[in-house]
Amino acid sequence: MRFISIFLSVFIFTACSQKEEKIPVDLTRKGFSYYPAGELAPVTSGQGRKGDNYVYAPGIRFPIESAPAYLNSQVYGVGGYLGPKGSLCSETNYAYPWHDNYCEKRSKYNMPLCSMGTGHQGVDIRTATCEKKKYYAVAVENGVITSIGTYTVQLRGISGRTYRYLHLDSATLKVKRGQNLRRGQRIGLVSNNMGSTPTSIHLHFDMKQTIKIGNSSKTVFVPPYTSLVEAYKRLLQGHP
Amino acid sequence: MRTSFLRTLFFMLLANSILNAGGILDIKWPELNQAQQKAVASYPKVLSEGIKEVRLPVYLSSSYVDDQNMIVVSNKDFYSISFLLEGATLLFEGDRTYQEVVSVKNSEFQKIVQKLKPVEFSKSEEVMIAQFNRHGANYSISVECEKPQTDKRCTEEAFIRGLYGNIILVGGKR
Ligand SMILES: [Zn+2]
Repeated sequence: MRFISIFLSVFIFTACSQKEEKIPVDLTRKGFSYYPAGELAPVTSGQGRKGDNYVYAPGIRFPIESAPAYLNSQVYGVGGYLGPKGSLCSETNYAYPWHDNYCEKRSKYNMPLCSMGTGHQGVDIRTATCEKKKYYAVAVENGVITSIGTYTVQLRGISGRTYRYLHLDSATLKVKRGQNLRRGQRIGLVSNNMGSTPTSIHLHFDMKQTIKIGNSSKTVFVPPYTSLVEAYKRLLQGHP
Repeated sequence: MRTSFLRTLFFMLLANSILNAGGILDIKWPELNQAQQKAVASYPKVLSEGIKEVRLPVYLSSSYVDDQNMIVVSNKDFYSISFLLEGATLLFEGDRTYQEVVSVKNSEFQKIVQKLKPVEFSKSEEVMIAQFNRHGANYSISVECEKPQTDKRCTEEAFIRGLYGNIILVGGKR
């Protein structure tokens, strides 16, 4: 059965590819467009996980309360420390299309699902405007807050998946350790908090889950991009 | 229209062929010796009460088991125990669930399994992490610093290795 599934998948993929629109895909009347999962920009930013369109966290709520939001690189975007010179608030950074940045080159971050074995463990998302402490990050599913560090808030969803929200403003967090949250409930305001060394204004969002392989299992950071594209479409359509 | 139908069908089939839904991992329970059982009885209430429903072996570094200021979040499937240190947050976690099953024939995941080590030390957004699998469950220890660029607990592995080196079993219910 599994063999037939794989065979059919490949066959249908080939059939679809011939009719596929040119990237980026522009799907909604609100102008939202995005490059496919794993297409990192610029190419020097590393090798993304191309072709993995599996939705690891189906049905999650988009982690920022309101649209628009822009998923793209903080490091290689305008004003980023490896990006073109300019302001971090450049219009280029606050525009569609989205670009995946999971697996982007980062030193020492263990990433078994990235071809390099290391890389960015989640994705970076900019809020509607380049203002800190204005837009709320919210729970992507029902769950409990398991830890709060200097710049990290961790939510364990009822699915068992762990979601990390980084760089929220510490002083105005709306949650406590051990607090149960409903999907969509406010966690805190997106900011540039990274302890004593501020980062750019954005939400770093990642998802960890355990994968069972035979008698072994491993907890890994899985690709959030496709789950977030789905979630964002729902948000734009008014039923997040 | 036809394309989008085919695309949907493709992803459904691909998902079916590679990944499946989750469940509870098989725990191979360790036996507690008498000294360990005696020690468990003496731990602070915040710990013993906090983990009383947890159905996997619970590990903590021996240097922190008596700290009354620990914060425990748990249910039968997981525990998260945090300590607010001077300039850093320390977190011990364990979990007995899985979210996906991958076919053992999947070559990418085969490689991941072959590379599994008893413990891995790494950094994650400047958070220092030790990750390990014991008794079939998955565990981690992490240290997040207020000064991640300069605090040695987050720039060097010695501190996290030390924490991992003295973990002890402190409870858990079969
Ligand atoms: Zn990031």
